[in-house]
Amino acid sequence: MGVILTFVVAFVAIAGVAAYFVTETYTSPNAPSGIEVAKSLGTAVVNGQTLPHVALQFQTYPDASGTVNGKAIHPGGNPSWPAYGLVNQFQVPAHALVTVTVQQYDSGGSLNNPWFANVHGTVGGTAVFTTPSGKTTVANHWDPDNIGHTFTMRSAPGVDSNFFLNVPLPTNENLPTGSSNDDAGQHYTVTFSFISGSKGVYAWNCEFPCGSMVASFGGVMGAYGYMSGFVHVV
Amino acid sequence: MSFEEQVDDIEANTLLGGQPFFSRAGGKIFIIWLVFTVVGVLIGAYAPHHLLPGLLSSEGGDVWATVVVFTVLAAPVAAFVYAVGFYSLIAWRHRSDDPDVPPPDGAPQRGNGPVTVLWLSISTFLVVVLLFWGITVWSAQQTTHPNTLQVNVTGQQWVWTYSYPGTGVETRTLELPLNRPVQFNITSVDVTHGFWPAALGVQVDANPGEVTVIRTTPNKLGSFIVQCSQLCGLYHAFMNNQAAVVTSQQFDSWLQTHGATSSAANTDADISSGASTTAMNK
Repeated sequence: MGVILTFVVAFVAIAGVAAYFVTETYTSPNAPSGIEVAKSLGTAVVNGQTLPHVALQFQTYPDASGTVNGKAIHPGGNPSWPAYGLVNQFQVPAHALVTVTVQQYDSGGSLNNPWFANVHGTVGGTAVFTTPSGKTTVANHWDPDNIGHTFTMRSAPGVDSNFFLNVPLPTNENLPTGSSNDDAGQHYTVTFSFISGSKGVYAWNCEFPCGSMVASFGGVMGAYGYMSGFVHVV
Repeated sequence: MSFEEQVDDIEANTLLGGQPFFSRAGGKIFIIWLVFTVVGVLIGAYAPHHLLPGLLSSEGGDVWATVVVFTVLAAPVAAFVYAVGFYSLIAWRHRSDDPDVPPPDGAPQRGNGPVTVLWLSISTFLVVVLLFWGITVWSAQQTTHPNTLQVNVTGQQWVWTYSYPGTGVETRTLELPLNRPVQFNITSVDVTHGFWPAALGVQVDANPGEVTVIRTTPNKLGSFIVQCSQLCGLYHAFMNNQAAVVTSQQFDSWLQTHGATSSAANTDADISSGASTTAMNK
């Protein structure tokens, strides 16, 4: 009886720890909650194929502890860390044209690896970069020494190994003042479109070294939810 | 059973006790060892067929053979440890009704010369054989060949990038021509990663600030996965990419579609990192 009880307790303990880590991955107490479902724009024709067309819009902020329109960018966020916001998980349909608009409020610098200054995986291999003053440029790369963040996305192993997306976001010289991001009016806008892959989980993260410690990839870069998240392709 | 009776029982059941061989503890352990050894050897001989990926290089074949030989040679040793442990747990478990009474010790083995010599001789023989085998296989991977294709491999959280010096091509997918020797110059720009195209029989750490060199020759067409083998942070599990061994014509065409500015006939070690170089044969 004692042996059986021992095995039962051990099984429950191991299963509990495993369940905790799985749950923690998606519902970290300090991570933004919720999944933003891409807004439908109807259909679009890409290379002769008619695809569902959806849109996503999100921002990058210099102060994770700030708020936008009364909503926390990153609940309990570190004020010295930047963050994507207001959510870090997105849902898009499989094999659809996804048009993304990113408003980049943060400063930046040089990439560790200039390869991430190139645009990869978008329709046409380019992105549209709009300065705070409204000047628009269509380009397949940006200056690797003037990068704020990158939006880099790849699939979970076994989902769609050919899928890869990388778009550099230019550094913003006009940082908002104060700890709040409500007044973050000056920003770059980067717009790009990509065709989503097969159904499954995809991870996205920033490849600009905006953290601390080893090669500036510790700190915020090693914490889930600030510069990283998931895209659920359904 | 009194304490003295338990001691007598253990001594009578030892390898050199007075009972017939297969009735003594040593005989029973031998039978268990034999069964475990056969199982271990069968696993070592056949499991790699199912666990290892399809091999696309001659070096991969050497690594595969090493895994098989090392597992088969280790099977009797591991089986002996498991057999003694298994038998001890069952036959020599503490049987006293009083949990406060400790089990008696067995006969001391100190000073048993033949056992010590046998143990040291077998261990030395196995270690020397494995060392010789390992160095021989490893040396084969360090051999330089003419017309070697240079590929610079850079690891970064959580992406591999590959550049082909002299061509202007830099990609996230690895493409290699058939039957042409390849030299990988591997480094990292942040933390330590592990460059692991298992199908090529290659697994090397990508260390920040250093370039590590390893060579292989793809000898079969096919696709495979490059995976990071060092836990490198949040999305370590996502740090993989598609790779393929293709014909030389397909490779040249692939280079062109990826913006090659010249042919792939780069044979000089044009290592992009300014860091020190660590060749594996140093």
